[in-house]
Amino acid sequence: MNEAYNNIITRRSIRNFTGEIVSKEIIDLILEAGLAAPSAVNKQPWEILVVEDREILDTIANLEGFYTKMTKKASAAIVVCGNTEKTLPGLAQIYWVQDTSAMTENILLASHALGIGAVWTGVYPSVDRVKKVSELLDLPSHIIPLNIIPIGVISNENTFAKEIDKSCIHYGKWTK
Amino acid sequence: MNETLNTIFNRRSFRKYSDRKIDKKTIDLLIKAGLSAPSNVNKMTWEFIIIDDKKILEKIATVTLYGKMTKDAPIAIVVCGNLDRALPGEGADFWVQDCSAATENILLAAHSLGLGAVWTGVYPTVDRIRNVSKAIGNVPLNIIPLALIPIGYPIDEEILSEKQLPTDRVHYNGF
Repeated sequence: MNEAYNNIITRRSIRNFTGEIVSKEIIDLILEAGLAAPSAVNKQPWEILVVEDREILDTIANLEGFYTKMTKKASAAIVVCGNTEKTLPGLAQIYWVQDTSAMTENILLASHALGIGAVWTGVYPSVDRVKKVSELLDLPSHIIPLNIIPIGVISNENTFAKEIDKSCIHYGKWTK
Repeated sequence: MNETLNTIFNRRSFRKYSDRKIDKKTIDLLIKAGLSAPSNVNKMTWEFIIIDDKKILEKIATVTLYGKMTKDAPIAIVVCGNLDRALPGEGADFWVQDCSAATENILLAAHSLGLGAVWTGVYPTVDRIRNVSKAIGNVPLNIIPLALIPIGYPIDEEILSEKQLPTDRVHYNGF
């Protein structure tokens, strides 16, 4: 199978980093991949914060109610946010969640392709987590953090096989 | 540049498809890509409905505003959230993010396999959810269609027209 396809099916969440620095060139490529995601009516209602400050990374690692401990040894944390001032109006505003999720998947896939470890840790829609991240990063109220993606050089890579559950594939009409 | 990054950068929406069928093996590959997405607390809150029945494809095309091209596609994959698999409490809505990541994987896999696809939004528009569910026929209430993805082999015309540079803006030696 082609390399791009294999990259999709072999991507894993990486939570063990060496603490080494990921170069700016690599991070730029990863972010560009994020920006190549599709968005509803091409609104691109996203913002990306890259946190490289050791002190802030350590604070993220210790945030209560988060699964972000691995940030302690991450080189950076990418915070994918929705910008509610760039979204569609009305009920369709919430499409920003789907757009930024597609962006996040691109970021994870690009990291994997470049041999960099990354993991999606959820923030939105937890009210408490959104509040804590917004306070920590001085986010205005129209910028909503969807997640925190710690990235870093991979250490002790876990190579467990992911179990795939095919019971949720249906042909034609709905079948149990 | 590696092939993965090229696929990510070059993926585009395709809305015109040739008559060529997609074989079962290729459809399975698309679904496997969707199933390989990450999901919150590994809940895998997704369900994939594959439509290859022309009648249903046509029915979907008539009830969706942005899904008209579905009638010309050999297949459509409807990515749905299964609320019964969702987390309790305020984490319930994480299914939207899980299913969006799965959708992006399917789009990228399609592109890497030479197929054309497009993400047409269903959730959270109530009318679209109802219309798509009804067109498929028997989707239970706990299964929420998030995205309708018509997929087919692109026709050359579209590749050319989308890739063509706007040459009317280029002027040599005067306007």
